[in-house]
Amino acid sequence: MAQPTEGPRSGVIHDIGYRPYTGPRLGTGAAARSLFVTGLLNAYGIGRSGRAKGLPMTLLAMMLVPAAIMVAVMVTLGLTEGFLDYGSYPVTLMLVIVIFVAAQAPVLFSRDLRSGAISLYLARPLPATSYALVRWASLFVAILVFIGLPVTVLYVGALTAEADVSEHTGDYLAAMVGIVLLSAVLATLSGLVAAHTRRRGLAVGVTIIALLVSTGVVSAVQAITSQQGNETAGLVVGLLSPFSLVDGVQAELLGGQSSFMVPPDTTGWGLLYLVVCLAVVAAGLWLLVRYYRKQAGR
Amino acid sequence: MNATISRLALQSLFGQKRWWVLIALPLLQIGLAVLVRVLSGGETGGAFEPVLVVFGLGLVLPLVALLVTTGVLGPEIDDGSIVYLLSKPISRYVVALSKLLVAVVVTVVLGAGSLVVAGLILEPSEPGQALAVGIGAAVAGTAYCAAFVMLSAISRHGMVVGLIYVLVFEGLLASWLAGLRYLSVSAFGRRIAGSLDSALEPIAGNLPLGYAWIASLVVLAAGCYVAGRRLSRFQLRGDE
Repeated sequence: MAQPTEGPRSGVIHDIGYRPYTGPRLGTGAAARSLFVTGLLNAYGIGRSGRAKGLPMTLLAMMLVPAAIMVAVMVTLGLTEGFLDYGSYPVTLMLVIVIFVAAQAPVLFSRDLRSGAISLYLARPLPATSYALVRWASLFVAILVFIGLPVTVLYVGALTAEADVSEHTGDYLAAMVGIVLLSAVLATLSGLVAAHTRRRGLAVGVTIIALLVSTGVVSAVQAITSQQGNETAGLVVGLLSPFSLVDGVQAELLGGQSSFMVPPDTTGWGLLYLVVCLAVVAAGLWLLVRYYRKQAGR
Repeated sequence: MNATISRLALQSLFGQKRWWVLIALPLLQIGLAVLVRVLSGGETGGAFEPVLVVFGLGLVLPLVALLVTTGVLGPEIDDGSIVYLLSKPISRYVVALSKLLVAVVVTVVLGAGSLVVAGLILEPSEPGQALAVGIGAAVAGTAYCAAFVMLSAISRHGMVVGLIYVLVFEGLLASWLAGLRYLSVSAFGRRIAGSLDSALEPIAGNLPLGYAWIASLVVLAAGCYVAGRRLSRFQLRGDE
């Protein structure tokens, strides 16, 4: 800023009260944090229009109602043992989860790419890599809450019904590890699709079709291979769907119950399922980061 | 019918990235048939129904129809370029019909065609059975296209509503509530396929054959009418 100099003056700059910002400057970390929180809330429609809240909130209610009913049944009938199966809850309500993931991933990944607001975000100090990772983290936590909340309701319900605490805690924690893995895989896949297609309708369709068709293929092929007694082929096919993949890890390595026909039966296969899970997340994140860096370069 | 509009619709279907999504599902259907045949070593007796009827007629065909139908009409409405098309002196019903025709042809070729190929791979000795499923799938695919055009005319989120119809209504509810078969397009397709080949009787279900044909035609006519009406009353609205 050039200071006004003394001397013969032809014009005057009036001080009309504008002030520079003198508050604390929070830096990149705070930007990432607030982007994360906004993204997480936006995934549930909070901070968006009333119409945008309808779908996620309805789906969340659909996830919670069966859990509430199960807790009610458990409390009234006094079934504290063997009634709840935390690990199979996500597979049972797969359709609701898939619709939520497919419908809300474009909220975080398609809108700013499509409208061009992405160039405004990337012009700020937050680099493209962090932007992509923060967006992914928002979606991941949103899905984690979506699946984890009803399972937690089941667990709390079991504790209030005075079930065996140590047994239920073990099952619950094992199931939650599986849910964390499932959320990570789903967030990665749906985020990739949403970022690349950019159109909301198409992204929703492709994500739902990919997730449901792959799971349908796994169930169909496993039904046939178990009939034929060809175990290995069924195990290999199980790697193709996120649900059977995480179900396998959860059933074999964490001691849960499998909801699929051919769960991995040795630790080796369980480890392979886990490695494939982590590889999918890592590769997906790498692609996502690469895509956003390319956007920043434009 | 307007050849130029049909050609443009075909171009918009296969000119963008969407085409690989369209191709992927039929390829998956055929791949599954090959896989089942390899795994079972030629003994594919019990696999015909799950692979072709449940997976093919119940899932692949409606999804192909949905992707094709929303791809023919949706993008132009979304980005607003449809006003240039609608400002031409062509009846809106002709516009809708030309686009629907393309959607039907592509669905029949990709959806029903892949079912016939998969059926021939599974049961090479009985081409009549595969053909019967193919004809049933062609009728059901036509009805699906009309139904989805109707849905996307009623709602702005045609893709999501269509998916909910296929997955929740036909997949989930119709298997519990048997009365819903009178409203389920895939039940019409199964009934028609079942009437054409005696080996397929078990899949036909308890539905009058005449009703299946007439209901398919009614859906088709309603789809044409609603889509044309929607276009003739089209108002440009902003994006979400």
